[in-house]
Order: sequence, then structure tokens, then C-alpha cells
Amino acid sequence: MGALSTTAGERTRAPSGPLRNALVQWRKKSPLWRSVVVVVILVMLAWSLLPIYWMIATSLKTSAQVALPNPTLYPHPTTAANYSGLFNGPFPFGTFLENSVVTAVITSVITVVLSALAGYSFSRGKYLMRGPLTYAVLATQMLPLAVLLVPLYLEFLNLHLLNSDLGLIIGYCSFSVPFGSWLMKGFIDGIPIEIENAARVDGSSQLFVFLRVTLPLAVAGLITTGVFVFINTWNNLLYPLTFITTLNKQTLPPGLLLSYTGQFKTDWGGMMAAAFLMTLPLAVAFFAIQRFLVRGLTAGALTGV
Amino acid sequence: MSARSPSAMLPAPVAPSLSSRARRQWRQGRLAWMLLPTLAILAFVIAYPAVRAVQLSFTSTSLINPISHGIGFQNYRTLFHDSVFYSALKNTMVFTGASVVLGGLGGLVLALMLEDFLGRFRVIQTVLLTPWAVPTVVAAFLFRYMFEESGGIVNSVLLRSHLISRAVPFLASPKWSMPSVIVGNVWVELPFFLLVFSAGLKSVPDEIVEAARTDSAGKLSIVRHVKLHYLKGPAIIATLLMVIANFNNFPHIEAMTGGGPGISTTTLVIYVYQLAFSSYNIGYASAVGVVWLVILLVLAVGFVRTVRMETT
Repeated sequence: MGALSTTAGERTRAPSGPLRNALVQWRKKSPLWRSVVVVVILVMLAWSLLPIYWMIATSLKTSAQVALPNPTLYPHPTTAANYSGLFNGPFPFGTFLENSVVTAVITSVITVVLSALAGYSFSRGKYLMRGPLTYAVLATQMLPLAVLLVPLYLEFLNLHLLNSDLGLIIGYCSFSVPFGSWLMKGFIDGIPIEIENAARVDGSSQLFVFLRVTLPLAVAGLITTGVFVFINTWNNLLYPLTFITTLNKQTLPPGLLLSYTGQFKTDWGGMMAAAFLMTLPLAVAFFAIQRFLVRGLTAGALTGV
Repeated sequence: MSARSPSAMLPAPVAPSLSSRARRQWRQGRLAWMLLPTLAILAFVIAYPAVRAVQLSFTSTSLINPISHGIGFQNYRTLFHDSVFYSALKNTMVFTGASVVLGGLGGLVLALMLEDFLGRFRVIQTVLLTPWAVPTVVAAFLFRYMFEESGGIVNSVLLRSHLISRAVPFLASPKWSMPSVIVGNVWVELPFFLLVFSAGLKSVPDEIVEAARTDSAGKLSIVRHVKLHYLKGPAIIATLLMVIANFNNFPHIEAMTGGGPGISTTTLVIYVYQLAFSSYNIGYASAVGVVWLVILLVLAVGFVRTVRMETT
């Protein structure tokens, strides 16, 4: 990731340099290769963007346009009816949205706290079983959620945690905490221990060093962890579908699934409007942490990158 | 505080003495407590449920009738003759294999071409990553709509360009449902591979590529002998991660087809979910889950081994 940030840094300082260099390199290539590259990239741009265009275009169409067997390629006339319909329509989209935001944000905060502690312990601790414990936590990431689902359901049933935000958040921790701990371990590994040792020699306590020296240097890691956990919980369908039993406590993914596979099966305009609104926060989150994407996606696996 | 005050009064020593090094190690030993909250919650949401899943698999527990009886290996014997289980296993393999191969190769080719195209022209890369920012359920809805038999844009375009004479029931026929689901999944996951491979290519030292070029090595041989060598590590890890992710991929399939039509897109995760929460047969669902867990454990051991190899 270091390479990525330096390239960006260089470009802002000397905008013409790297780009002109690349242009010179590009001109040196054979015309056949150049045209192949351009065609492939254009095809891939279309492949990536046309579905998204289609989602937005459909969400702006009138219901009569959507119902055509041969859909028009662009909305004419455009209408915001699908969007307003979400908030005063037959199912509680606003409630779904609120539940999604609340559970995703709380899960992110809890996970960041737990992961910072665990990651620091993994990275700096010297105690019995540290190695095996570290790899055990990594291995739990491979556990299929669906295998845990049935026993968790029974556990929550007995503890009256079903159909509650708290139960859902605790459930989310089963994938967010192992992931976050590994991600934080990687970030803290990258902070030179000499800085901490200097503070320790000054006589500062362990907790003081952790809170005032290490954590401020690991802010990027904390943010990346939080955003990734937000993305993963925002995306999760399986847990809320199972642990939440009434529609007005649902989050967006199961809420939309239950709404649009039932009675409103063919309301594609409304469905695409809901889909677009559900995408926006996630897209913002992704581009906000673009620099750390690879690191987060391969947490623990690519500690060298 | 008491441990802190004596040393706070002294000036900071230039080189840590033996006693202060020993004290530091003792302090670091205490870092174990920081792990306790994490271990406590993981015991609650992972360790206990995992043990309970194994125990449930030897019972006839049902969600409707929670009085359970131990029935020994009966669930596993049933599973052994369960044709749906084998279909689900096959579907899981096809879904995972095709998604990873298509996404991985696509991502690799695209990363290599993008690197050539105006250097690392970041804007294009960012745009190509957009599908990855689309929530899984949304992508599934989107492809469900596009693959509709009537009103779906895919059929509409194919019909208008006279490539087909009758609309294809992409999601309504067992023949087409799995390929359609895979196409949607590749759309979401290809950017992941692109991102990992692009990052890998940045770690290739320019000098080595230059050296190969001055030795008048051809374009393809530079790719084959130089760049692919540097991409091996990222490729292994990305593949393993995506194999595991797709083994567990519930939202994409559930939102796109719900496992149908028939059982044509029912993977193991869908099957376990349906057994538990549509048939309420949680004893049997747990048995399927345990067998699936064993399959995944083999993958996980391989994964951890690879990580150890890469990091040490």
C-alpha cells in the first residue's frame, strides 16, 4: 500500500511527470497491442457501469415505462415517484434504513474497541499461547456462518436475544471481531516498537503507552477496521433474516428481500430505487478508504503488502 | 502508579538496564488481559455454537418440537444417501469454481492491461472497482431484473439484435439459472481480483522489468517470467479467500434465485438454511453443517499454512 500512496503523492507534487512518462511508454507499444488494450478496457468499463446505469435509469422511470416488455433505454419522462414511494409506501423502508444504520454503526464501534485491544495484545504481547491463539482467531474467520446459525439461534432463543438489535449486534461480532483483530494486528505490527519503548523507559504505564502513543499512530487502522465492519454488516443478509422475526425490526437486506419477493415482486422501479439508496452509503465508505482496500480485504493474509 | 513513580523521578536512562528490560517483559506479559474481551465474546458466538452444532447433529431436534432425542449417527447415514446434499455440494463447487476462475482470470488480464494503459491511470481503475462497492443484495436484485424473461434488458437486447428469436428464461430454467447466478457473482467479485493483482504488480521492481526489456524479452515473456512470479503470493491468497467466501455465499444466491428453480442453484449454505428454517429440522441441518465444516476446515488449514509461509 505504501507504493499506492507515494504514487498519489508524487502526482500531486509534479502533475506532468509520471503521466507524461506513462504516455511515452504507451506510445512505444505496438499499435495492435494498444488497440487490444483499449478495446478490452472499454468493454470492461461497459460491463462495470452499464448495470449501475440500468439501476439508476430504472429507478427514475414511471411504472408504465418499467412495465413495457421491451424496456426503453433511458427514462422519459423521469420521475422521483419511486423514491418518494419508498418512504410512504406499503413497507417501512425508513425503518429498515434506520435499523441498518444503528446496528452497523454500533457493531463497528464495539469491534474497533475490541480489535484495538486484541490486535495490540497479538502484536506486542509475550505470553503463553499467544501464537496459537492468534492463528485460532484467524481460523475462525473460515467458519461458515451458516453452521453457527442454528446453535446461535437456539442460544439467542434461550437468552431472549431474538428479534432485538442487541442480539443482532452480538451475532455480527462473530465475523467482525476476528477480522478486526487481525487487521489491527497488521497495522500495529507496522508501528516501530522503539517509539513505545522510549515512552516506557520514561516510566509511563502500559495502558498510557497504548492509549497515548500507539493508538494515535494507528488511527488509519482504526478507521479502516470500522469502515470494513460497517460494510460487512451493511451487506449481511443471513443474520438479520434469521435473528429478527418482525418486519419493523429488520435491516435493509432482508427487509428488501422480504418486500420484493412477495407481493411487490414486479415493482422493479421501486426495487431499483431502494437498491440505489442502499448502495450510496456503501459506495461512499468504499471510496473513503480506497487506499486501504487491499489491506482490509486480505486482513492477516497479506501483512507484507 | 506505584511502579511508575520511582522511574519517573529518575532521568530517562540512555540504554535500558537489565532490570528495566526484565520489568518491560513482565509488563508485556500482562498484555494478555487485552485479549480477554475478544476471547469472551468469541467463546459466546463461535466456540460454544460450534460445539453445540456437533452435539445437535447427533439428535433429532426440530424447531417445532424442541424435545430432542439422541439418535447417534442416524443423521449422517441419511446424509450419505441424500441426493439433495450431493446436488448442493456439486452446485457449491460449480458456483465457487466458476466464480473464482472467471473472476481471477478476468482480474489478472485486466490488471496487466491497465498497468500498460497510460501507466496506472487511477481514474479508470477506480471506475472499474465500482461493482465491488455495490451491496451483495443490490447486485443480486439488479441481475435478477436484468435477466427477467419479459422486461429484462438482457433478453431485450438479444432479441432486438436478432441473436435469439425467443426470450430465454434465464432464472426460470434449471439449465440457465446457475450460469446467470455466476455471471452476477463475477460482476461483483472481479474488482476484488483486479485490486489485489494491481497492488501485486506495483511491487514488481521497475529495474527488473527494464532489465528484461533491454535483454529484448518480448511483452508476453516479461509477463510470464517476471510479473507472474511476483503475483503468485497475492494470487494464492486471493483465491483462497474467495473460495471460502463463495462457499459461504448466502445473500447473492438467496436474493437472486432463492436456490431455485427446483434445486438448480441450491448450494450447501442455502440447503442448511432451508433445512433449519423452512423444514425446522435442525438436527439434520447441523449434520450437513458439520460435514461442510470438515470440508472447509481442510481449506482453512491450507489457508493458515499459506499465511505462515508468506509471513515468515
